Amino acid sequence: MLETMFSSLTAMLTSPYMMGLMLLAVAIGLVVGVTPGIGGRLSIALAIPFVFGMEMIPGAVFLLTMHAVNGTSGQISSIMFGVPGDGDDAATTIDGYPMAKKGEAGRALGASVTASGVGGIIGAIVFAVMIPVLEPVVMAFSPAEFFLLALLGITFIAFLAGREQIFKGLIVGLFGMMLATVGMDPYTGTPRFAGDFLFLWDGLSLITTVLALFAIPEMIALAVKGGAISTVSAETAKYSYRQLFEGVMEVPRHWWLAIRTSIIGAVVGMIPGLGSSAAAWFCYGHAVQTSKTPERFGKGAVEGVIAPETGSNAREGGALLPTLFFGIPASSGMAVLMGAFLILGIQPGPTMLTERLDLVWTLIWALVVGNLIAVTFLLFIMRWVALLTFVNGAMLVPFIVVMAVVGSYVSEGQWQNLIVLVVLSAIGYGLLRFNWPRAPFVIGIVLGKIAEESLHKALELWGLRFFTRPLSLILIGLIVLTIAYAVYRNVRPPSTRAQETVAP
Amino acid sequence: MLKSAARTATGLLLAGGLIAALAAQAQAQGNADYFKGKTVTYIVATAAGGGYDLYGRLVAEYMQRYLPGSTFIVRNMPGAGHLVGANTIYASRPDGLTIGTFNTGLIYNQLVGLPGMKFDLTKMSWIGKATTEPRTITIAQQSPIKTFADLQAAKEPLNFATSGVGSANYVETTMLTAALKLPAKVLTGYNGNDDQLAMRRGEVAATIGSRSSFDQFVRNGYGRFVAQIGGKDTDVPQLRDLVKDPAALSLIALVQSQGDISRLTAGPPGIPPDVLEALRQAYRKALEDKELQEKAAKLERPVEPGYGDDVLNAVVTALKQPPETIALLSAALKKK
Repeated sequence: MLETMFSSLTAMLTSPYMMGLMLLAVAIGLVVGVTPGIGGRLSIALAIPFVFGMEMIPGAVFLLTMHAVNGTSGQISSIMFGVPGDGDDAATTIDGYPMAKKGEAGRALGASVTASGVGGIIGAIVFAVMIPVLEPVVMAFSPAEFFLLALLGITFIAFLAGREQIFKGLIVGLFGMMLATVGMDPYTGTPRFAGDFLFLWDGLSLITTVLALFAIPEMIALAVKGGAISTVSAETAKYSYRQLFEGVMEVPRHWWLAIRTSIIGAVVGMIPGLGSSAAAWFCYGHAVQTSKTPERFGKGAVEGVIAPETGSNAREGGALLPTLFFGIPASSGMAVLMGAFLILGIQPGPTMLTERLDLVWTLIWALVVGNLIAVTFLLFIMRWVALLTFVNGAMLVPFIVVMAVVGSYVSEGQWQNLIVLVVLSAIGYGLLRFNWPRAPFVIGIVLGKIAEESLHKALELWGLRFFTRPLSLILIGLIVLTIAYAVYRNVRPPSTRAQETVAP
Repeated sequence: MLKSAARTATGLLLAGGLIAALAAQAQAQGNADYFKGKTVTYIVATAAGGGYDLYGRLVAEYMQRYLPGSTFIVRNMPGAGHLVGANTIYASRPDGLTIGTFNTGLIYNQLVGLPGMKFDLTKMSWIGKATTEPRTITIAQQSPIKTFADLQAAKEPLNFATSGVGSANYVETTMLTAALKLPAKVLTGYNGNDDQLAMRRGEVAATIGSRSSFDQFVRNGYGRFVAQIGGKDTDVPQLRDLVKDPAALSLIALVQSQGDISRLTAGPPGIPPDVLEALRQAYRKALEDKELQEKAAKLERPVEPGYGDDVLNAVVTALKQPPETIALLSAALKKK
């Protein structure tokens, strides 16, 4: 086992062909990731014609690397312009963009890029460690647990919104959950809030919603305010490589959080059925909930950038597990990857471990090395990229609005989404203008859907008895504790509260 | 002078004859020249990745090769269970420059007149179908049920997983379990590969779906096939040999006809005959291309093509169902 582990690493590192392929894969993966609206799934689907005729191991490494580094570049636009590339980048926007406004884009990018890399690498380690227990862990999570996990995620809203805003947070969160019900009801086959509009039958486009809630309002605000995204000038912010480096160092400073969120991300990735955006939001919620000063979140807390980025990159390692060893892909991206693996002659299934251990290790190493290359490259160019936040808004806004509009259109190719974009942008701007929290909205829409679907399934399968499954009981315990803790924090004597608000 | 005039006349005659002959031949071959320098949009009614996208991209790549000078672009138009894509193809200009693929299961929608449908499948310009997707009843490995007879005799109802109410998969499962009087509870909301995982967890005991989606699952030892509808495989008994009830048999035939016209390619109604013929011939050459077949084989995607009017006739036949079948279908679509 150990021998194969290291021989596959040296085989990869010493082959110029493999390293060249990985560089190319990282470059493509990063470019696709930075473009809003197109996901990693499309890049693999488009790469399929080129994979015919490739050898098994180089081909698999190429595809996996391309897919794995996709999330690493997605946060750039989320942090700098508040334009999330997809649902999980939206979690990074919540604290990343306020940091950019404070002139700390460099620090935020340094932290998020490093966090992505660390997440990707820990995800690979989790992959390796979890192989023996894959079966029991994946089997333990059924629709009952999905429902309770989603519910647990929703309770994080209580922390996210902060003390004074708890009711606003709940209203926005419930509004998000309400919009999550738009579309064809899978249980009755009736369109809800959708009528004859076919484009609504699959639910509101998540990317459009997220762009409307975050990107467009921020751009309107910037245009109204004038000046640059960063409220302080580059000189005052002492912008330099040093700031970027400080950001990088934030990750080791929060090492325990980074490890926890990476593990959460990898485990969520491992369990098919939770959807890809859930990982980042669980991690974000976890960071807020465990923080001693949760009120800093949403205003530019660096943990709010680290947590979702570690989570979403660690997810890839987790998602590869059931794909390779069960032949059951854990996400739509992995389903496409599995299709491409078939072309290369890889037969995913339990025999992978006994017959193709070299390949398994090569893939684990590809995750590690690919993430390292991506991080190094991004940190190198980030210094210049982050400077854009000091550019006059009048020059930036048109480009970014176009980027958001294009992203909304190409994600599903339906022009009607542009109308949704405009309508929801108005709501988003209203929330921003009157200082209402927007993060609960995305949590509501992402987790509300999972909660509803899995509740239906769980009730159909076990009736109300589903609450008594062992893991369900643990999760219920966690939910009760979370709510109790939230209540406790709200009714604490005012003296301790006053002290806290002084702290940053 | 006269001689030369006569020579010219013969020349003209010959040339005219030649042109006429060429024209006739062109008619038979289809107007392939029409596509020179033109762009054909191939609409796939699902998102990128997945079976429809895969077949769509293969077909588009090789049709382009056999329509010299043309450029094929694949456009993914997902939404509303293939309805968005199918509606778009149907409403596009019938100039042969927009064709595409969608789920054959829309036949069910048309049979019952489900909402959201803006097409008539019998009027479309059918180009071909790429394969046959036999359906199988798959039972989870840990279930005590080993054969179809066991399934019929089961005391407790079995959980069957389907995607959403109204999807082809749901229609087939509800219809067949009702007609065959199987002790079944049909669950919804299992999208993508959720059903396989649910079978591994044991919360779902069975599915009715395309054999190709479950081949690997069964190979990995996670389940077993107990009956099959259509296809040439001989390792699994054909469902039609296991039942006697004529109403059930007619439903099985309907499901089989669906499976027979899988991964279809069609255009809007009213494509000019010569252009349609050119498309059909290019499609035939594409599907008979050894390279395409090798690629499909590597992807474990079968190729069993059908062409032009054969596909049209199959669609028309499938849409002619006795009132009893339609009643069963409508009942299947009314939730519980």
